[in-house]
Amino acid sequence: MLTEEDEDYFTEPGFHLPGTPISNQMLPSLPPLPMQPQHNHHSEAGSPSSEVQQQEWIAERLEGDSRSVKELPLNLSEKRRIRERQELRMRKMSGWNSWMDRQHRAVQRLWEQTTEAFQYTEMWRGSLHRIEGHFGSGVQSYFSFLRFLVLMNFVTFLLVGGFIVIPNMVFEELQLKINTTSPVTTGNQTCFDYNPKRQGLVQFYEYVMDLLSGTGYMELTYLFYGFYENTAVDLKTFSYNIPLAYLITILFYFLLSLVWTVIRSVNRFKQSLVNEDSSLNNYSNKVFVGWDFCISEEQSVRLKQNSLRYELKMDLEEEALKKRQAAQTKLQCTRVYTLRTIVHLLVLALLGAAFYTIYVATGYSQQLISQDSVVSSNFFLGLLVQYLPSIVITAAITILPIFFNIFSRLEKYSLTWEIKLTLIRCVFLRFASLVILLYSLWTQITCNGQKDESHCKTCGYNNIYPCWETRLGQEMYKLAIFDFLTVLVMILLVDFPRRMIVQHCSCKLIQLWGQQEFQVPSNVLDLIYGQTVCWIGTFFCPLLPLLNTIKYFIIFYLKKMTLLKNCCPAKRTFRASSSNFFFLLVLLFGLALSWVPILYSIFVITPSKACGPFQGQFFIWDTIPNAVEPLPQVTKEFLYFISSQAFLVPIFLLLCILISYLVALANSYGQLVKELKVYMQLEGRDKHFLVKQINRTE
Amino acid sequence: MGGTGSQLSKELLSEYQELTFLTKQEILLAYKKFAELLLKEERSRILSVRIPKAKILTLPELKANPFQHRICHVFSTSEYQDDSMSFEDFLDMLSVFSDSATPEIKSHYAFRIFDFDDDGALDSHDLEKLVNCLTGEAEGTKLSESEMDQLIQNILEESDIDKDGTINLSEFQHVISRSPDFVSSFKIVL
Repeated sequence: MLTEEDEDYFTEPGFHLPGTPISNQMLPSLPPLPMQPQHNHHSEAGSPSSEVQQQEWIAERLEGDSRSVKELPLNLSEKRRIRERQELRMRKMSGWNSWMDRQHRAVQRLWEQTTEAFQYTEMWRGSLHRIEGHFGSGVQSYFSFLRFLVLMNFVTFLLVGGFIVIPNMVFEELQLKINTTSPVTTGNQTCFDYNPKRQGLVQFYEYVMDLLSGTGYMELTYLFYGFYENTAVDLKTFSYNIPLAYLITILFYFLLSLVWTVIRSVNRFKQSLVNEDSSLNNYSNKVFVGWDFCISEEQSVRLKQNSLRYELKMDLEEEALKKRQAAQTKLQCTRVYTLRTIVHLLVLALLGAAFYTIYVATGYSQQLISQDSVVSSNFFLGLLVQYLPSIVITAAITILPIFFNIFSRLEKYSLTWEIKLTLIRCVFLRFASLVILLYSLWTQITCNGQKDESHCKTCGYNNIYPCWETRLGQEMYKLAIFDFLTVLVMILLVDFPRRMIVQHCSCKLIQLWGQQEFQVPSNVLDLIYGQTVCWIGTFFCPLLPLLNTIKYFIIFYLKKMTLLKNCCPAKRTFRASSSNFFFLLVLLFGLALSWVPILYSIFVITPSKACGPFQGQFFIWDTIPNAVEPLPQVTKEFLYFISSQAFLVPIFLLLCILISYLVALANSYGQLVKELKVYMQLEGRDKHFLVKQINRTE
Repeated sequence: MGGTGSQLSKELLSEYQELTFLTKQEILLAYKKFAELLLKEERSRILSVRIPKAKILTLPELKANPFQHRICHVFSTSEYQDDSMSFEDFLDMLSVFSDSATPEIKSHYAFRIFDFDDDGALDSHDLEKLVNCLTGEAEGTKLSESEMDQLIQNILEESDIDKDGTINLSEFQHVISRSPDFVSSFKIVL
């Protein structure tokens, strides 16, 4: 049955039915104004017969609607009636049309069934749902991001495993006929002196150390670059060239990661573009969209209410603050600006100090490992030296943000800016630490880029690293392992004891400290950091995606456990949408960053002569021209043409033109939106005027 | 799970699938949950019985929700205006709050839930009640009067495009369409 209020909504202008004459809607669509009697259709809906008429009228109007019945804002019995009418009409239709309609429905149902089936294969659906119920969609976005990374790492591992690791294993096992692709040129013997196996009796602790740092027996496994061979295997119809497969698979690996991340972020990007002027809708957004209907815990409801109240109050305060700031005197202004400059300088100094420490620590650790005399005899000392760069980086990443947080409060920016600025500093810190680490390794490996220095003269790279690619892989392997260990230790030794203390001690100071909040931004940055390390390392350590899959898989459960057991929702909630896009952007940045060392080592540095699939070549990239050489003339010329400037420069220009066209298009849409808004305001004023006129004549 | 009474017939199930956004599993789960709220002797006529509001609100998904009364009111089709719910009303509710419901339908019902006096527009009284639901209605948790006034004024300034002092459905949907979080937060899953 249609109740009166239903009709009210029904005739609202927002629910415009296509194909209905506007005159039908004129009167009921007027907003109920104070001077106008509300429920102006009272008389029509009074008797039951007119009610039926109304229904018929509505159903008639809805028949022409292109939306499916379920998308109408009506209750089930009304929808059922409309569907019955539609079916009636269908029988009247010609055979072809009704057949089309039936087909359309069948396809729709099939689609629904497939999506339903997929929903059940979706990983961790229940867990995500539970987290959402306790902590809202902001925290849930962290976990769905984590799931995305697990999935991506697993699929990319399948790629790497299927084309690099498994073929290598199979060839090794079957001992197929092997041709060396590029015979190793005889050169200085020092370049070939590579034997990572430990000599003599191996102690148990050395096994553990090898496992943790990827040295010794670990170095000669499929884990690292150095173990792969520069061979081609002639199968019956084609020959499987391992170096070529290695290089192309890695390039595809990056392409796949890029495409996947971009596809995921395009969606979010659209949303955030739409959301661009959200500052204009700040309060409405918070009030209309603020409530998370997923939350079902009594305590979470109270916390959510607290956080919403806090946010609203903060925003109101901020607005008042802005008004006050606008009226600030020059003296006050200068004071704030000097304070900000000092804080910026302080932050820069801290960052500089951290980077210098990382640089020195990496160099020191590399030197000590190469000398391997005193250090390797002591288990803990050896481990400490191996992990020195990781430890320093992790320390910097953990400690500096605390200072950033304190500083940002001094700066007197608005709250939203405060958060953004701190976040940007943290992102910069993480990526820059990795860059510094890589730079430090680069200076070690290439003797600071000077090829005629004594160590680098003979091999083209520093001869104390007979297999420098593996060394790089080991560094990334250690970073990944240490990252995981840090998460583990933080949960076991910090989060759990903290909850115990807070729960069982009534001391005021400790209660003030309170339960831990789950900070989405810093946690997501941790994940991005780990993923970037994986990307950088995959070329040198092909099994790293597998390790990362396992690592993130375990982290999902650990984080879920600590979240549900130890954490309380954060005071200031992080909006799922705005964060999602920002984080994907940072992830893309990490991907771009990881390309730099990979492409550099592919194109510029001589591959090590003693190990790996590219031994004996001048550059890793030489594999591609070598593979193209035996191809037929036409294909060869085509490939050369594609890689020539004559082709690439016009393509580049074309893309630029396309981009500028799209930018112009987007701008014009923005303009259109603005004009339409003004138009709507005018219409509203017209409506007001008309209603007043009608009232006066009545 | 013995004692859930008669199962849904196949035709009815497929009809529900066609008319709501729910999947088969979700409908069956809703059926089970609804039956659990009924007395033993009522379970045989599950499709015709109405559950009083007080009992519906014992569902864990609604128990703590500050909009529980409004939700019951909006989705109830009871002739006596007592906000009781039949099984189909219950499905309607779950359909709107399901994952796959369209943003339009979600925002339409959100508007009805927020429209406390059912007059088809959000005026300052509706907004005040809405904000009180969001922040908690107790004396200590409420916003102060001046804060509330300022807030409502700001909201109207932002969203009342035709400047008539109220927010109508299209203006509301306009705001909602610019907020991608809405679809993920306007959701109740059993």
